[in-house]
Parts: sequence; structure tokens; C-alpha cells
Amino acid sequence: MEREVIVTGVGGQGIQLLAKTLALAATREGRHAMLSADYGGEMRGGPSKASVVIGDAPLRALPVLPSAWSAIVAHHRFSEGVLERVRPGGPVIANVPLVDPAALRADLVVHPVDAAALAKEAGAPQAVGFVLLGAYVAITGLVPQESLVAAMEELLPPYRRQHAPANARALAAGASLTTAVAHGS
Amino acid sequence: MGLELLEGSTAIARSAIAAGCGFFAGYPMSPFTGLLESMSRELPAAGGVCLNAESEIEGVNMTLGAAAAGARAATGSCGQGIALMQEAIAEAALNETPFVVFNMARNQQDYFQATRGGGWGDYRTITLAPKDVPEAVEHTQLLFHLADKHRAPVMLYGDPLLAQTRVGVSIEPRDFGSLPPKDWVLDGTGGGTGHSRQVWTWAMGKATDPGPGPDRHWRSIAAKFDAIAAAEARHEQAYVEGAETVVVSFGSAAKFVEHVVDELRAEGHRIGWFRPVTLWPFPGAALTAATRGARQVLVFELNAGQMLDDVRIHAADRDAVRFIGGVSISESGLAYGELMDAPVIRTRILEGVA
Repeated sequence: MEREVIVTGVGGQGIQLLAKTLALAATREGRHAMLSADYGGEMRGGPSKASVVIGDAPLRALPVLPSAWSAIVAHHRFSEGVLERVRPGGPVIANVPLVDPAALRADLVVHPVDAAALAKEAGAPQAVGFVLLGAYVAITGLVPQESLVAAMEELLPPYRRQHAPANARALAAGASLTTAVAHGS
Repeated sequence: MGLELLEGSTAIARSAIAAGCGFFAGYPMSPFTGLLESMSRELPAAGGVCLNAESEIEGVNMTLGAAAAGARAATGSCGQGIALMQEAIAEAALNETPFVVFNMARNQQDYFQATRGGGWGDYRTITLAPKDVPEAVEHTQLLFHLADKHRAPVMLYGDPLLAQTRVGVSIEPRDFGSLPPKDWVLDGTGGGTGHSRQVWTWAMGKATDPGPGPDRHWRSIAAKFDAIAAAEARHEQAYVEGAETVVVSFGSAAKFVEHVVDELRAEGHRIGWFRPVTLWPFPGAALTAATRGARQVLVFELNAGQMLDDVRIHAADRDAVRFIGGVSISESGLAYGELMDAPVIRTRILEGVA
């Protein structure tokens, strides 16, 4: 089976690194992965989207996904068209309060995560994306948390190695939250 | 061998190196730049030479020189850069120097450029158009083989999706069979040795050792391209038997079309797809056979209608051919627009069937 996740947010939230970390972790687990990125030239504030597909056989998925099993919504801006593509019942990580879970489609299973607060608590205020990723993986079980940490470390350039422990704490902070809200209740 | 998560450009670079590519020269131009960067990072470590040339013209001529000296050599660019290279590609086709051109195009608007050539003389360029990164890895190695087999410049037609999508791939050297010895290569000996050789488009030879001259030479070149056309056409197809509708597309777009056709088959439509894997030689006879009995032959490509010409030439019934593609470019100019999307393609196909 192929599992797809669409990640959407704005430049500066760590969308691309989050997606790359997930795809690399799956690859290191010996699984097939595909990562498609879509972002503008802006450094911060512009649309930033990525999609990751993970499967146990060579993938049939398209590099532009017609539909997806799940999503991570880091920011409400630019997210509308993306969320239309999530299949009913799919798990969605919503970065509150930037994203209002009540404003999302009623047929999705939304998991609210206050990533900024958790990142700050973990002493990793810059690692909002890793909190969201930690939560996503805890809920979906797509890859083991340890392989996420290893992939994150592998992707850090040498001059950013000092951030590895903080990023790992951010991943763990996200993973500690696994409560789903029953939508529309 | 395990899978590695590689950007398409890096996967192609590693596959070229696995094929024995020893020389690469090019000039940056997005989305080709990633391939040049990968080559500059990895080729020297593998014992080869990678040069960032001053221009595309310099890059392709350096490549021609390295190939004339016997190296497996490659260059690349896109759009305007490939346009600048056309003179050298024509020269290489006519003086029979094999190398690979990685055309990491910005979209599908360079089908004519790839298949018709913008150079001079009676030549064509073998062009492979992979539909995804794993196939691009395979085509890269096949292209070096075909170049050496036919002593001709050859082309990979890529695009931003192939260049930038990251996919888990495994890159191993592939064996496509034996090749003729390169007994024609220049060995660096000049005048006075009695063994100097020429690689010349006009094939007039030396005063002491006359060549066949342009008439005989160019007839033999033309005959060679006829033989390649007969031998090297490749295609893929599915569900064309008894299909009322056949959709023809190439490259990345074909992967999207396959996806949509699978959906429509599941819903009961009598529809199939046909994909030229080689844009030149165009698999004309196979397309004629695949479209026999089809009421509609729909052509989907992201341009104003280029492969459309080849489909019209070869479809069993040219009146059945309809164009459902179009120009579609992102605001940056560096990626596809909204037409490269399965739901949009589905609508176009259903409109074409109606």
C-alpha cells in the first residue's frame, strides 16, 4: 500500500526539511519513498508545499498527487487547494492556533498540535516543523521515531550540528501528543 | 543494493558515471543546473573531468572533443541552451562523434527542437523521454550505449519533475551488450607520424589519404539514420486492443495519462494509452497498429501541439486525431502549470471522448 502525505505551510516553517526528513527516514528503513517539493523563490512567508509517498514496492504515485491519505497543515494560508485533496477519514495534523481545526473539512480526522508552544517548551523554538513531524509519525506509525531522529541528524549540514539535540527534543515533544479530536462535536 | 533517496538530477548523474561517463561540460540553466552541480560534485571523485564551461556552445564543443578522443562524454542544458548547441550536435551527427545531451527541459515545448534538430544536414537525434526518475536512470545508461553503437549524438528529454523529484532508487551499471571497437578515435598523434586521423563532417580526408568526400559520406550518414529509424524505435502501450479511445503522450505527462486511463478503465471506459519512449525514432508502425479501430486518438502534451504532427502522420485514421493538450507554465516559467495534474487531464480526456 502507498501512503501519501501533503505538507503545506509558509516559507520559514521548515516544511521542506520536515518532508525530506520523513522521506529519508522511510528510505533508510528500506522502503520506497518519493518526495516532491513545490515552493516559490521567497525565503519566508511564501507558499511552501511538499508531498511524500511511502510504500513497500516501487511507487506508482504521481509527482503531483491527485489525492492524499493524510496532511500536515502548518499554516492556513495557501492550504485550501491542498486540503481538498485529502481523502475522507484521513489523519490531518493541524498547527494550532495558526490553523483553526473547526474550519477544516468535517470528514477529516484532525489532530490539533500547538507546535510553536511545544517547540518553545522543548527549548527548540525554531523546530516547529519537527514537532509537527513527530506528532504525525506518532499518529500514523509510518516510520519509527528513532529513524526520524537519525534522518534529521543526517540532513543537518556540519555547521548546524549543534541543533541536533534540540531538534530531537522537538520530534519527541510532537510524538508525546497523540490525541485525536472527534471532529464536528 | 539498497535504495538511496536521490533527486532526479543526482540519480541521472550517478547513472551516467556508472555507465562510464568520463567527461562532462555544461553551463548552468535551471532545471539543468542540478545535473551540472551533481556532476561537478561526483564525476571528479570517480576519476572523470567536469567543467563549468563559459557558454553552452563551449560546453558542447568540449564534449565533442572529449568524445573524439574516445571518452564517454556528455553535456546538457535546456531550451535556449540546447538551441545554442544545435550546430555542434549537427556537426557531431555528420562527423559521427558519439555523446549524450541531457536536455533537462523546462516543459514539453521542445519536442520539435529535440526531434527535428536545429542544425544542418540530413541527421536526426535519437531521443529518449523517460516518464519518471527510475526510468531516467535506465535511459541514461542506454543512451551512452546507443551513442557508441551508432556513433551519433543522442538526447535525454527530461523536465523539472524528473530533475527535482526525489525518489528512492538503486543505481547499478547495466549491460546492453557488446559494442564495436572505437578504432576511429583520435590518439593525439599529429602530422608526421603517418597515423594521424581525421574526424570531419565533410569526410574529404587528407591530401595523402583522401576520404570518401561529402556526397558519398552524407549518403552513408543518411542510410545510417534510416537503419536507426528501423531498429531503435521503442514504445509502451496498454489496453489498446479493442479500445475506442487511445491517448498518446510522452515523458512525465505519460505517467499522469496512465494513471487517469487506469481510473477510467475501472469505470468501464474502453480506453487505452500509447507512449513513444523514443521521440526519435518515433514508433510510427506501432502507433498505426495501436490505433487501428480507435474512434478517437487523443494527443496530450504540454505544448501547442508538436508530437501531434507525428501522431497525425502515423495514426491509422488521421481524422480520429484530436489535440487535448496545451501550453501550461507556472508563474516562475521554470515548472509546469496546472495542466500537469491528473484531475485536469481526466477532464480533458472525458471532453475528448464525448
